[in-house]
Amino acid sequence: MKSMYKYAFSLLLVLGSFLGHAQTTKSKDSIGTAVATASTVKKDSVKPKTERYGLRLGIDAFKLSRTFFEKEYRGLELVGDFKLTRKHYIAAELGNENKTVQDDHLNFTTKGTYLKAGFDYNMYENWLGMHNMLYVGMRYGISSFSQTLNSYTVYNAHPYFGEAAVTPEGTKYEGLSAQWIEVVAGIKAEVLNNLYVGFSFRINNIISNKVPDNFDNLYIPGFGRTYGGNVGAGFNYTISYFLPLYKSTIKPKEKKKN
Amino acid sequence: MKKILLLLVLAFSFSGCEKDDICDASTPTTPRLVIECYDNANATLTLKNLTSLKAIATGMGTEAVAFNPSLPITDPSRYLYTGSKLYLPLRTDATTTQYALTLNSGVAGSENTDIITINYAHHEVYVSRACGFKTLFDLDPTTPIVQTEPATPDGAWIQNITVIKPNLESENEVHVQIRF
Repeated sequence: MKSMYKYAFSLLLVLGSFLGHAQTTKSKDSIGTAVATASTVKKDSVKPKTERYGLRLGIDAFKLSRTFFEKEYRGLELVGDFKLTRKHYIAAELGNENKTVQDDHLNFTTKGTYLKAGFDYNMYENWLGMHNMLYVGMRYGISSFSQTLNSYTVYNAHPYFGEAAVTPEGTKYEGLSAQWIEVVAGIKAEVLNNLYVGFSFRINNIISNKVPDNFDNLYIPGFGRTYGGNVGAGFNYTISYFLPLYKSTIKPKEKKKN
Repeated sequence: MKKILLLLVLAFSFSGCEKDDICDASTPTTPRLVIECYDNANATLTLKNLTSLKAIATGMGTEAVAFNPSLPITDPSRYLYTGSKLYLPLRTDATTTQYALTLNSGVAGSENTDIITINYAHHEVYVSRACGFKTLFDLDPTTPIVQTEPATPDGAWIQNITVIKPNLESENEVHVQIRF
């Protein structure tokens, strides 16, 4: 429970610092935009809107920091999205996790790789020259992993014989897999030219889960813990870089100006 | 935008809540051997109460099974059972458990001890994250329970032992019937 508070608090901190970023960016941008708009108005009453299209690649800083600060966790998640239309993005996350969980009666290690693919829909109406995102989206997640049962206790409600409670094991269950659907909501803000920070909150629901004989998938890489039922929650904090590939404007004549 | 942010923060703070993961007492875990006792004098099956039965497993010295664990350790009644349904724990790290069952324990002159040896195989089954694993037992198909006399024979009080369910899965079932 204590660790849960720590977890929640550190996240709020991260979130708070991000909000600070977002605001400064916005004000800076809005001034720039205001100037740009003013200069445009002089020449043309029609506001030209340039849309940049390209690939955004990044990393989940939250998993990375947990890798450093949590002893029993190693994780890496690469994120990417490609702008398909003005509001639609193809988005994906590719990751790998290695997590050891120590419970009252079990100690196990889950290792595996996952891929989440889907789309994001940008709900935010950007001012001219801004490329921020307030988005919702969906993902289909697949994970391939193994579970190692490191040790366990046999639960005995009526202890009489003083048997060794903990049985050291080492059984590895391989070839496990799971699939799930994720609903995503998040923000991405351009803090420096082409550099984005963002966070997303996810609610996921298991569709299929291949569990080992005589054990369970208590943790699924990419999905998280499963013992809260089929519905889980996730979070990521991303730092990403946008590679502009091409631009398109509503008025092709305005292209030269940019 | 602010509203959505607030919602996100709220949803997020709730996701931190976690129910306590304690193994629920109603979850079937490692079962004890359930023995139901019947009157041997009656041709039809009639339950008969054991009186002041004490059970000590071989290798446990003088430490008897605590049938009334709520009583203090110093109280002899803690280790005495009166009733018709006897629950005996089995060793989860061996394939044999031997018990000395003393009827009318503490009553001078009417004490009678029989030794029963229970032979079985066991395997561990995953229950849940909160409970871990449980051990289930399968009584030996040829010699599930062997009845013998103690070092100083005093005659057998158990007249008949019948295994009615050799695979022990829970305590909500009767595994063995005895007549006395």
